[in-house]
Amino acid sequence: MLEAKDWLARIHALPLDRPMRIMNVCGGHERSISMAGLRTALPKQVQLIAGPGCPVCVCPEEDVYQAIQLAAHAGVILVAFGDMLRVPVNVAKGELRSLEQAKAAGADVRPIASPREAVQIAQQNPERQVVFFAAGFETTMAPVAAMLIEGVPDNLSLLLSGRLTWPAVSMLLDSGEAGFHALVAPGHVATVMGPEEWSFVVEQHHMPAAVAGFTPVSLLAAMYSVLRQLIEDKRFLDNCYPELVKPEGNPVARRHLAQAFEVTDANWRGIGVIPVSGYAIAPAYAAHDARLRFPDFNDAERKRAGQMPPGCDCARVVLGRINPDQCKLYGTACTPKYPVGPCMVSDEGACRIWWSTGIRATEHA
Amino acid sequence: MCLGIPMKIVSIDGYNARCEAKGVSREVSLFLLQGEDINIGDHVMVHVGYAIQMMTEQEARSTWELLDEMLAAEDSDA
Repeated sequence: MLEAKDWLARIHALPLDRPMRIMNVCGGHERSISMAGLRTALPKQVQLIAGPGCPVCVCPEEDVYQAIQLAAHAGVILVAFGDMLRVPVNVAKGELRSLEQAKAAGADVRPIASPREAVQIAQQNPERQVVFFAAGFETTMAPVAAMLIEGVPDNLSLLLSGRLTWPAVSMLLDSGEAGFHALVAPGHVATVMGPEEWSFVVEQHHMPAAVAGFTPVSLLAAMYSVLRQLIEDKRFLDNCYPELVKPEGNPVARRHLAQAFEVTDANWRGIGVIPVSGYAIAPAYAAHDARLRFPDFNDAERKRAGQMPPGCDCARVVLGRINPDQCKLYGTACTPKYPVGPCMVSDEGACRIWWSTGIRATEHA
Repeated sequence: MCLGIPMKIVSIDGYNARCEAKGVSREVSLFLLQGEDINIGDHVMVHVGYAIQMMTEQEARSTWELLDEMLAAEDSDA
């Protein structure tokens, strides 16, 4: 079996005669790339871009606001994946800015690591309403769908902010200014949904694409594949994570997703509405929709509702238009300890990942 | 979050499995692998408490190595 250094040698041996920009759309990929130092190990012509791979970063500001209001004013137990707790919303000074602040102010906010914990908490507190604020891509939404289908207690409802990965890439490619030449597709999204979802990149946009796992070996194999496709002017969808990514993905998981949710147009924070990019709770499970159970907790008239925080360039970071250290706030006003934007909060946010691998603020002229 | 953790199955009770990785033991749902022939000793990729796919022991090992490196890097960052 080839090791990482072998793949690097193969890539360095390629006749790279022009800049080639490869986008990934997965926080796990970005973390592995950054940790392994692949950007500096690759030839200068190869540029790696972190694209829309962080569901927490694009979770609508209104949804976070609603979760904070439910926790603070509706007397519910609010459970969410830990990443969500520190995501800031735009409110006047002195108002609750995050779930973490709501928790500090006495609200019952609990971080969880699995949908199963949401069910357990609801079972243990039958006299309380429990709201599970669930943001995530397909890989996370399949377990959430399974949770609903397996059956949840009456007192558990979902504030769902699930998103699909491929429509954001499709939007970028349709925009005519994608800014990248090849795509590394997300390994665990493809494990669930199947690699076929990504064939539109090749067929409609004539762009090389390869599904990758999370080890440097798998990522480098995928990069080698798309670079070679660019050089030889051949295009196909490669699967460099065949151990887990099977044709058609995980059919049980896809069936559950289709049963529990409907695919709708959805808002991405700072980016806008992307067609067919969101999951909504299917009518059969409407009894567990927190938006229907608690309809009065969203103040759409708020100043800057839905936007990124002032001065924050997260939206352009998410779209791969700029690198994290090109944001004026990166490492100055915005650090993991005092994050301004969601990309510095989430473990899957490009800013948080770049910071954790030692990249500090560049001088801004 | 999307990284996933490979775990080894040590016992199975319906859709619930007790799994372990690197000495840590967890309850994992097998609900997304209905219909698969899953046995004690098999390895699965676990994401937010649900097994999303079966995998070989060798693939599990290479992912564990990666996770170790990431944890070490996190520690030095803290």
